[in-house]
Amino acid sequence: MRKGCTAIVIAVVAGLLLASPSRAQNAPAKAAAPAAAPRHDISGIWTPARSPSDGIGALGARDMPEDGKPEHQPPYTPLARDKMKSYRPGNGARQVLPADLNDPAIIYCDPQGMPRQDLYELRDTQILQTALSVVILYQWSSVWRVIWADGRELPKDPPEPRWFGYSVGKWVDDYTFVAQTSGTDPRTWLDKGGRPHSEDLHIEETFHRVNHDLLELTVTVDDPQMYTHSWVALNKFPMKLLPPNTDVREMMCSVSEFMDFNKRMGFGNPTATNTGGIVK
Amino acid sequence: MSERSTLLALATITACALPFVAGAQSAGGAGGALPKRDLSGVWQPANPLDGIQPNGARNMPADGKHEPPYTAFGLELFKRNRPSNGTTEVNPAEENDPAHACDPQGFPRENLFELRTTQIVQSPIQTIILYTYGKIFRIVWTDGRELPKDPDPRWFGYSVGKWRDDYTFVVETNGTDARTWLDNAGRPHSEDMHVEEVYHRVNRDRMELNMTIDDPKVYSKPWLALDKLPMKLMPANTDVPEMMCSPSELAEYNRRHASKGEIRGKQ
Repeated sequence: MRKGCTAIVIAVVAGLLLASPSRAQNAPAKAAAPAAAPRHDISGIWTPARSPSDGIGALGARDMPEDGKPEHQPPYTPLARDKMKSYRPGNGARQVLPADLNDPAIIYCDPQGMPRQDLYELRDTQILQTALSVVILYQWSSVWRVIWADGRELPKDPPEPRWFGYSVGKWVDDYTFVAQTSGTDPRTWLDKGGRPHSEDLHIEETFHRVNHDLLELTVTVDDPQMYTHSWVALNKFPMKLLPPNTDVREMMCSVSEFMDFNKRMGFGNPTATNTGGIVK
Repeated sequence: MSERSTLLALATITACALPFVAGAQSAGGAGGALPKRDLSGVWQPANPLDGIQPNGARNMPADGKHEPPYTAFGLELFKRNRPSNGTTEVNPAEENDPAHACDPQGFPRENLFELRTTQIVQSPIQTIILYTYGKIFRIVWTDGRELPKDPDPRWFGYSVGKWRDDYTFVVETNGTDARTWLDNAGRPHSEDMHVEEVYHRVNRDRMELNMTIDDPKVYSKPWLALDKLPMKLMPANTDVPEMMCSPSELAEYNRRHASKGEIRGKQ
């Protein structure tokens, strides 16, 4: 009897074990629904969701690339067009030869500044939250930015222009954090396509946590000196959550490497004849 | 069975994706208990000028009296470097300091030149250091991983750390790029350099930083670059000013002022 029971148990167990895989084989695999978004939390290590290269922005702002198409021309003022005449970018519809570049972030490794740090080489990005701030750690150049979330206002008259400006932010709902930035240094280019900005530039970033693993970033540019109306540089740019123990590789600009590269490739020295972002 | 697996998976996902909410125990004013296992906060050298270190590592300045224990190879490397400060300094047009042309300073120089207001943020598996100079951040992994045995060279190396006791955090770094100078006086290092930092929280408002250099190819024995450099706690809402190297500014300055009008002198 005991042997019979044992056999039955074994058979039942075997049946269960065999049944599970075959059920899985017959039924189409269902993707697990993403977990719900945590509230007031955009922390984590994020990477462009569509592809690792989605944030490169070689032609400029992803949602307004400098591709020559009319619909992708920002609403320039005459002052902006004038300022752009001195810009010689390495990519896009107005690109020049390597020896003629004067993009200060490329030929000199000048700080990219804001908003370009969001619009060129946006890669693995870690967001930290402290009691008073949101801190963003960018892979490109290993730079950090702080967005004050302690209720302070943007300075009316920023103490000094900063490469990365001065940022404050707040939660507009449980899943959306909005940052405002002003006080940026007008020497920086707005993007890789060579769009300009003035010291009156105002940037709005909207970080919207869609679900546990997806964040969308929207960047809006407002600069009445340079653009007749505000425009969207990044529109719901999707970023996916990486494991918290992800080792983000270094990605840094090195002037000496750049010089050496140009020398070996015979591209000449673009720094010999101009000072990049300092417009004469 | 499948429901249990789903629950287990969800629990794992949740555990693995805990938010990086930094410890804010040190926010607020002076006084209060010394927090355990907590270096978080905004710190500054107790004497603000103490971290500049123009003549090299604060506890081994290039002043003619303090000489690191070079090996023969180390001395040879040192002689190739032409710094703008210290006993072997040269004219600005002659120097070949890559960081003065705005290459990344790298590590450990980030602690040994222009160490200014420094914010430390702690997450469950990282201690993150945010530097003023260059707006550079460094990640120190505290999840128990070991240093890589054969690391790819990085300007800022690869760092792991752990608590030696409740108030002392020790960081080990390797894998640094040998192109960087160790300090502003042109001391060299190899790719085999190992750096130990010891962060000791003395009391709520004071921390001391020790840093030891160990690089057998270049130095015959380890030596102390920083010896209990005191750092004081700043208010949590301190606005850290920007301090960034701009090669275009440097080029413009040289054109206006340098005798040869070049970004850098002879290589």
